[in-house]
Amino acid sequence: MEAIELTALTKTYGAVTGIDALDLTVRPGEVFGFLGPNGAGKTTTLRCLVGLVRPTAGRARVFGMDPVADHRRLAPLLGYLPGELRLYPELTGAQTLDLLSALQGAPVPRRSELCDRLGLTAGILARPVGTYSRGMKQKLGLVQALQHDPQLVVLDEPTEGLDPLVQETFYGLLREAADAGRTVLLSSHVLPEMQRTCGRVAIVRDGRLVTVESVAGLREARARRIRLSYADGRGARTLGAADRWEPRWQGDDVELLVPPAEVVDALRGLLGPGVADVTVEEAGLDEAFLDLYRNGGPEEAR
Amino acid sequence: MRQRWPLLWLALYRRRRMLIALTVGMIAFEALIVVVAHTLSPDELFSAGGKGPPSAYRAFSGSSGEVSIASYPGLLGAGLVHPFWIALQLTAIGSLAAAAVAADVEAGTVELVMVRPVSRTRLLAERTAALLAAALALNAAATLTVLVGVALTPDIHRAVPLTGVLAAGVLGFGFALCMIGPALAVSAAGRRRAQVIGATIAIGAVGFAVNFIALAWAPAEPLKYASPFHYYTPGDALAEGTVPWPGFLVLTGAGLAGILAAHALLRRRDLAP
Repeated sequence: MEAIELTALTKTYGAVTGIDALDLTVRPGEVFGFLGPNGAGKTTTLRCLVGLVRPTAGRARVFGMDPVADHRRLAPLLGYLPGELRLYPELTGAQTLDLLSALQGAPVPRRSELCDRLGLTAGILARPVGTYSRGMKQKLGLVQALQHDPQLVVLDEPTEGLDPLVQETFYGLLREAADAGRTVLLSSHVLPEMQRTCGRVAIVRDGRLVTVESVAGLREARARRIRLSYADGRGARTLGAADRWEPRWQGDDVELLVPPAEVVDALRGLLGPGVADVTVEEAGLDEAFLDLYRNGGPEEAR
Repeated sequence: MRQRWPLLWLALYRRRRMLIALTVGMIAFEALIVVVAHTLSPDELFSAGGKGPPSAYRAFSGSSGEVSIASYPGLLGAGLVHPFWIALQLTAIGSLAAAAVAADVEAGTVELVMVRPVSRTRLLAERTAALLAAALALNAAATLTVLVGVALTPDIHRAVPLTGVLAAGVLGFGFALCMIGPALAVSAAGRRRAQVIGATIAIGAVGFAVNFIALAWAPAEPLKYASPFHYYTPGDALAEGTVPWPGFLVLTGAGLAGILAAHALLRRRDLAP
C-alpha cells in the first residue's frame, strides 16, 4: 500500500482552480518534496491530504484511507505543520503543546527531546506564544508536528523563519525520521532544501503537476544562468543560436537561462570579440527551473 | 477538563476575563433594578397623573399577557428584557459562537486543531457546551441576584413569588439557547468573527424591535410570532410563579434547530483559512 496516492485530485474555489487533476504517489518511508512557486497549489494539496479540505473531484488516499471520511482513523498517524502557523497567542508554549497533545489523544514520547534539540527551554515554554518570534513559533510548530512520533509527517514550508543552525537540526530530524521508516512530505519553494532532504520531488505550477523527478535528475535538469557583459556600447544585439534562450538585455549586459547540458556549447557560441566579462551560476527556482519547463523542458516534451 | 474536553476549556479560558466582566455587570444591573423597585414603587415610576403606561410597554416588561411594567413583576421583568441585559447576553453568545468555528478559521488555528483525531461533531459539541456554560453562568447570576433581592424585600416578595424568579431564570436560559443555535449556524458556515457577532446582534435587535412594533401597531400583530421576545416573557413568569412552557419549548426548539443546522453546515465545509 502506498503512503499517499492522489488520483486526478482537483480542488476549485468557485472559478479559481487550486489544483487541477493531480496524480501523485508517495511510497512508505520516502522523504518526498513538493516544490513550486507561491500559489502553485502546494498548500491546497497538503490540506486535502490531512482532511481539512474536501477535493472537488478526484481521489486522495493516505495509507489507503480517505482523509475526510476516515479522518478519525487517519489523524493519529499524521503530524502536520501548516505553512502559515497560527497559534493561540494567550496560551504559553507549554499550554499549546499540552492542548494539542490532548487533542491528539496519544502519548508524546518525543516532546522533551525535541524541545531540547530545538532550543525551546522551560523558560521559553512558560511564555505566551504571542511574545514569540517567528522562528520560535516555527520551532513550536515542529515540536507539535513530531512529538507523537507520527507515521506520516506533512510539513508545509517548514524552515521558514528558522535560523541556519536550527535548520541544520531540522534536517537532522528529517534524516532520523527517514531512517526510522517514517514517510515525510515536505513542501517548499526552496530548491536547495529539497535537494538536501528529499529522495524525489514533485514540481507543481498553477495547480498542475509539471514533473516528478529524483533529486539527482532534478540537479541535472536545473538551468544555469549565463551573464555576459559587453564593453562596446552597442547594447542589445542578436546572439545567433543563443537567441532561443530568450536573452534579457540591460544595456550592454545580457542574461540567459540555459539547460546544463547545453552550457558549454552556448558559451562557445557566445564568447567572442567585445565580451568583457562572463559568469555562469545555478539559476534560482522560480525564474529558472520552472522557466525551463515552461519553455519545453524534458517532462513536458515527453 | 483541560485534558478531557480541551476545546471546551480553550473556549472558556480564552474568554474568561470577558465572561467574568459580563457576569459582574449582570449582577450589578439586576441589583440596581431591585433597588430601584424597592425605592420607588412601579406606580410612582410609570403611573404619574393617574395614567398607566401604553400597552406596548409590555414589550419592556417581558409579558405577552397582562403584566404591566407598572407592577413589581413587570418592573423586575423589565430588568430581564432590558437592552442592557440583552447586550450582555448577546456579547457572550456572539463572542463564544464566533469562537466555535469562524474565528478559528479566520485566525488559521483551525488547521492545528482539526488535523488531530477530532471529529467535527466533537468540535461543535465542545464549543456548544462552552456557550451553554456561559449562558448558564450569566442567567444564574441574574436569577440569583433577583432572587436575593426579592427575598430581602417584603414589598416585592408579596407580589413576586421566589418560584417566579426561578421560572424567569429558566426562561432566560431558553432565550439564550434560542440565540445560541442560529449564532452557531452562522459560525459553522462563516469565515469571519465579525459575521457571527453581527448576525447575533442583528437577530437580537431585530427580534426585540419586531415584538415592540407588533405590540404597538395592530396591523403588525402577527409578526410577534417571529420574534423570540414573544416567547421570552419573564414578566409573566415572575407574576405567575411558573415557567410558561409553550414559550420555553419554542425558544429551546429554535435553539436546537440552529445547532442541528450548524452541525450539517460544519460537516460539509472546508476547514482552512
